Amino acid sequence: MLTLAAPLEARATARLAGFPGFLRANGFMVGGGDAVTVLRAAQCVGVLDPQLLRWSLRALLCGRCDEWRRFDGLFDAWFLPPNRWQRPMQRDAAKAQRHGEWPELPAPAGNETDRDEDLRPRRAASRRDVLSSTDFRFLTERDSVLEIELLMRRFARRLQRIRLRREAHAHVGTRLDLPGTIRRSVASGGTPFHLAWKERRRVRPRLVLLIDVSRSMAPYSFFYLRLARALGAELPDIRSFIFHTRLTPVSQALHDPDPWRAQEQLHLLAQGWGGGTRIGDSLVQFEREEAGRAVHSRTALLILSDGYDTGDPRCLSDALAQLRRRARRIVWINPLCQRPGYAPICQGMQAALPHLDLLAPGADLASLQAVLPDIVAALA
Amino acid sequence: MTATGRAQDLAGLQQELAQAGYIAEPPLAAALLLMQDLERPLLLEGDAGVGKTEVAKVLASVRGTRLIRLQCYEGLDAHAAMYEWNYQRQLLAIKLLEHDERGIAQKEQDIFSERYLLKRPLLEAIACEQPPVLLIDEVDRADEAFEAYLLELLSDFQLSIPELGTVVATSRPAVVITSNGTRELSDALRRRCLYQYIDYPDYDKELAIVRTRAPAAPAALAAQIVAFVQGVRRMDLQKKPGIAETLDWTAALLRLGISVVDKDGAGRIMDTLSALIKTRDDRAAFPREVVARLAAAC
Repeated sequence: MLTLAAPLEARATARLAGFPGFLRANGFMVGGGDAVTVLRAAQCVGVLDPQLLRWSLRALLCGRCDEWRRFDGLFDAWFLPPNRWQRPMQRDAAKAQRHGEWPELPAPAGNETDRDEDLRPRRAASRRDVLSSTDFRFLTERDSVLEIELLMRRFARRLQRIRLRREAHAHVGTRLDLPGTIRRSVASGGTPFHLAWKERRRVRPRLVLLIDVSRSMAPYSFFYLRLARALGAELPDIRSFIFHTRLTPVSQALHDPDPWRAQEQLHLLAQGWGGGTRIGDSLVQFEREEAGRAVHSRTALLILSDGYDTGDPRCLSDALAQLRRRARRIVWINPLCQRPGYAPICQGMQAALPHLDLLAPGADLASLQAVLPDIVAALA
Repeated sequence: MTATGRAQDLAGLQQELAQAGYIAEPPLAAALLLMQDLERPLLLEGDAGVGKTEVAKVLASVRGTRLIRLQCYEGLDAHAAMYEWNYQRQLLAIKLLEHDERGIAQKEQDIFSERYLLKRPLLEAIACEQPPVLLIDEVDRADEAFEAYLLELLSDFQLSIPELGTVVATSRPAVVITSNGTRELSDALRRRCLYQYIDYPDYDKELAIVRTRAPAAPAALAAQIVAFVQGVRRMDLQKKPGIAETLDWTAALLRLGISVVDKDGAGRIMDTLSALIKTRDDRAAFPREVVARLAAAC
């Protein structure tokens, strides 16, 4: 390991070398070799000017926007002695888990064995299973929300693998266009000086999400938006819209690399959020204004709604019939489907059913995980 | 290096950048210095129009070196970015070598030699004698497969050409990668780069940019322009104006002889808004009253 020359700086060396580990514990994407690079950078920059060191280490150790924004606080926490933090910050627990470092879960009172290191991963795994099959409306704790988001991201990444494999096959280079080459060779007496190439033309599969954010969907729409954001980060072509009495595109807000700004934008967009539902009118608006751009022959249209519609059912039925002609699949994900005794007898669902390829449950992550890969696979 | 020495370097670089027309905040200048020390690529992220591409251009001009630019797009493949064989010339050479006495292996070596290699930006960048600045622009537009191709180049500064072998960089280019965040980049790519997030400039910085890039604008007008644009950016728009739009708008106002942005001139300001607002929906958010209100606040 590199050391700084002056003996006075030996402590600084140790402090610097420990910094990447501290960032890792707080969810930063920092590798094992980064301690060495930090020392190299410190040799270049010097450790006497804290601002310079801060800017340089920020460039070196951050990899994404949210890390960039959180860096200053963590830098201060580590390098200003009285405030040095021993434990990861709470809001980054989910990120730490992504790197396999599970923060301690609150142990039930009186059960000391639960603190045992060996048991922790297993407990975490079983907790994940439980979480993924918990109805979204019962997930209210902040920790659970973060964990479910983590699971969503992981699941979205799995979907990406399905897509990549297919794309790798379709992407086997450009191919020689023999008839074209021969035609071009006429001028040169049959010698193929000018080669013609063929390129595969393909349309990327696309998911369009229409998320109901009316009052009756309040416990679920929040999670569906998070799912849309997670999917959008991993799959290249996702369009998301929210609707209640009218429709609003939200893809751009969801794609904002800064989650806090995304949240602000959504709040601005979602005036009337939590009000009544006019599914039919919203779908007509979608068909008229957006479908031309958003829907093509390899599109699956996902409507995430409970089907409680205060509008005209015939309007809903007509809109779906129109959309049926454009999209490859129309799937209705209804969070109520899983409840015992549920039958799609409300007017909205009755009007929609004849035009759907699939009516699927979606109250928890497990049911979404069961249905989404098939939908993506069907777009091939 | 002592802290003062480094601080001087930093101030020097900032000054050089400013002379070349780019107002860089100290953190960016620090990252550029570190990029040189550690020979690592620099990944710049931020909204469109905040001046990411400009960093590479100005860096090339400050270092007095070439700028080699690779504009990424969906479907960009390795051949378009790295190298291609000049098939026509190869075929011609085959024809010419028909009566050559040499063995097949030698002929083949001749045909797959550098003479028939068309260098595309990436190969060109590592084959330069003097280290150039390589700009890989909007890497998020290219697909993941291409990003994976880039990794070898970014970590080892070498490229593999099956017919020729590995080409190692004669001099390491300064690599600047930009991304608008339309797609999540891989962790592998991010780990190999230094990172800098560039936000929209604040009032002071933007004013300094306008003063530097549009010296013809009177000081009072420049201040009003920047205040107006900052107000526009606070609105909920699909496409917020970037620095380039501010400069375009400044030019448009000067061209029309508008010397003051105020409520009474809202009508004339409306005529120039196309330089600032770039989508139909956003344009609808600027009726005369809104423009007048924004102008009055300047």
